[in-house]
Amino acid sequence: MYNEQRIRGILFYLSVSIFLIGLPAILSFALGYKFNPATFKFTKTGLLVIRTHPEAADIFLNYKLLNEKTPATIRELLPGDYNLSLFLDRHYPWSGKVRIEAGRVALMEKTILFPLRPNIKQLNKDKISSFWVDQKESKIYYFNRENNAIYRSNLEGEDFEEIGILPQDFSLSKKWKISKDGENLVGFNPRQVILVYLKMRGRFADTQPLIILEHSDYPIIDIFWHSDNYHLILITDRSIEILEARPQAKILNIVNLNKKNIAAFYDDSNDTLYFNDVQKAADGKWYDNVYKLELSTKSFPFQELIKPKSNE
Amino acid sequence: MNSGLNIRRSLEVIPGIISWGIIILLVILSILHPVFCAIIIIVFDFYWIIRSTYLTTLLVMAYQKLHRQKDKDWLKECQEVTPGWQELYHLIIFPVYKEDLQILRPSLEALKVCHYPKDRMIVVMAFEERNPDSRKNAGILEAEFKDSFLRFLPTFHPDGLPGEKRTKGANSTWAAKKAREFLHSKGINEENVIASCFDADTCVDKEYFGCLSYHFLTSKKPHQASYQPIPVYNNNIWQAPSFARIVEIGGSFCQMIESMRLEKFVTFSSHSMSFKTLVDIDYWPVDMISDDSVIYWKAFLFYQGEYRVIPLYITVSMDVAYSNTLLKTIVMQYKQKRRWAWGVENFPFVVSRFLQNNQIPFFRKIRRSFHLLESHVTWAVWAIILLVIGPLPVLLGGAFFSHMAIGYNLPKITGLLFKFTLFTSLTWIILSRTILPPRPRGVSGLRSILMVLEWGIVPFVILILGSTPALDAQTRIMLAKYMEFNPTEKARKMI
Repeated sequence: MYNEQRIRGILFYLSVSIFLIGLPAILSFALGYKFNPATFKFTKTGLLVIRTHPEAADIFLNYKLLNEKTPATIRELLPGDYNLSLFLDRHYPWSGKVRIEAGRVALMEKTILFPLRPNIKQLNKDKISSFWVDQKESKIYYFNRENNAIYRSNLEGEDFEEIGILPQDFSLSKKWKISKDGENLVGFNPRQVILVYLKMRGRFADTQPLIILEHSDYPIIDIFWHSDNYHLILITDRSIEILEARPQAKILNIVNLNKKNIAAFYDDSNDTLYFNDVQKAADGKWYDNVYKLELSTKSFPFQELIKPKSNE
Repeated sequence: MNSGLNIRRSLEVIPGIISWGIIILLVILSILHPVFCAIIIIVFDFYWIIRSTYLTTLLVMAYQKLHRQKDKDWLKECQEVTPGWQELYHLIIFPVYKEDLQILRPSLEALKVCHYPKDRMIVVMAFEERNPDSRKNAGILEAEFKDSFLRFLPTFHPDGLPGEKRTKGANSTWAAKKAREFLHSKGINEENVIASCFDADTCVDKEYFGCLSYHFLTSKKPHQASYQPIPVYNNNIWQAPSFARIVEIGGSFCQMIESMRLEKFVTFSSHSMSFKTLVDIDYWPVDMISDDSVIYWKAFLFYQGEYRVIPLYITVSMDVAYSNTLLKTIVMQYKQKRRWAWGVENFPFVVSRFLQNNQIPFFRKIRRSFHLLESHVTWAVWAIILLVIGPLPVLLGGAFFSHMAIGYNLPKITGLLFKFTLFTSLTWIILSRTILPPRPRGVSGLRSILMVLEWGIVPFVILILGSTPALDAQTRIMLAKYMEFNPTEKARKMI
């Protein structure tokens, strides 16, 4: 027991010694103090934290190459301005001035080193005129005006394939709109609506992948998808109409307009159409107004209104 | 209120005020002066790592000693070294409250198979009169064990005796007095009797009484010492839930560490002492919860500081406290740890008596008081400082602090320092495997792997069942909301 207590005593005093010696070193490190053996004094320094994207860039501080590569924390820097340069092979170098303050950290954390040759590649494998990205499904759709062909690929340009040809006389609007479920695409010109079924399933399982609906009444100005992904809201220069996204669908005119080329905004989260029109007032003059048309199935018997009429 | 009570009350609030003061001060500093708070945290972290490394070394030393003395034939040692051993009698008291026969029977069976003459053992089952099953259980056990020892003596502690609280110490004292009557009736000299007060679920090692007798007979002043075995919780450790097991293994390890720090060593849980001394100091306190440690301080004061605890490197095994649901087990463990932490009541008890005592050297009184206070305050705050307050300067210090050198370095330094604790943790994990009993039949081998992995929940355990109950106990005593003794329910799952 006596021996054990002696060993314990030695261990105790050893622990105390480590604590007393180690603590000043740890605290001075934490606070950024640097011991200068020449002057036998502690000097308060600052830190420089450098992170780059991509990593592993060479660091030149005041034109002197450091051993570290990014990401790096340069400690014990005396306060002052420093010239910092970062070099990475095949990337544009970065250089600038950084100010180091005593006891503080200068953070260079958002440095991007851009490659000398940008990382660029062609995605289309055929001639195209325009394109549209479906981020949700990670697909790119392409349109070639010369032959009216529609193509599809993934976001890397792989699996590039033709998915349909529009009639030669069909002039496609630049406006392509995808349904909220990402399964159908609609495009239009003043007299035609083109529907592309991106996924042939459900109620579209037996239909053609691409159909064109003729619209001969008034020129179409804009089209919106209803949140049920089945109905389309058509804005023409004379009316607001509802169209089902299926072959031989009939058009339902729900609002007659007095003004041509109205402005319209469709809030598909609430299925509400905002539009402007002119209305004749009691004084016999015409006034511009903004209207709100609710088309939500929750607030309005939308389905009941349309289906009987479309089946007529 | 007289001055004595005033002093005692003043002393009662000191641990709570210090613990809460440290916590509140650090939280305020982390908002108002995060740099200063960060310095304190770094100092504390570094201190804690040095301390835990030092204590782990002591644990290894204690373990080596325990391992060396394992399976030693202590009775033979007694016979060789001290021919007078046969004159010794062992009085073994089991204070019982609600423990059922499933708990009590194994404790008596362990005594029965001890490698020590049973005709030198007097076993007292100290029941509480207020427990309606007491008489029935006593009758069953008496029928089973009356011929196993020199005397099997059931006692029934009446409820509501003047000056008493419902504590284990009151029951033990009643039992010891009854046992004394028996000793007198048999003409047994009290000086030759060693009293052991065991928790009801305590199963002693078969060499325990040989070891105890040897140390009693070979120590210079045997009546001026308590004899403290290493408590382990092996009775049901394989069946207990992970965190309960971690807590109890941690408790055993702390006791092993304490056994190496003799100048601070105080009795805990099941232990033994001279019956003569027990009588001289008027038995256990009848109105305090932490009777197991107060009994040491009573003896320390009686002998004017010339009293010590001799560690016995032999185990007594008890039950891990757990219940049938996780939540109930956490609550049960929490209450048990809070009861242990109620040992903070020793501080006002001891210091108020030190103030009246001129015989004990001044510096010894200061040192012991400081140890007592420091241990309880540390218990209450260390996990909170490390786990809760540690990140606060970074979280609350704002952009200014995060752009300071210390703000940037604080997480890195604490992270680096805590990597060192992996070594100590690894030591604890390895040792925890070695003190386990063999895996019982019916327990999956996967549990062996789980028992290593479960050490990952230590941060949760030390916060919920380490510091919090201690802070709770100190707060209650600070606010004079005194606790009643609430015995831990013990459950043993049959497999």
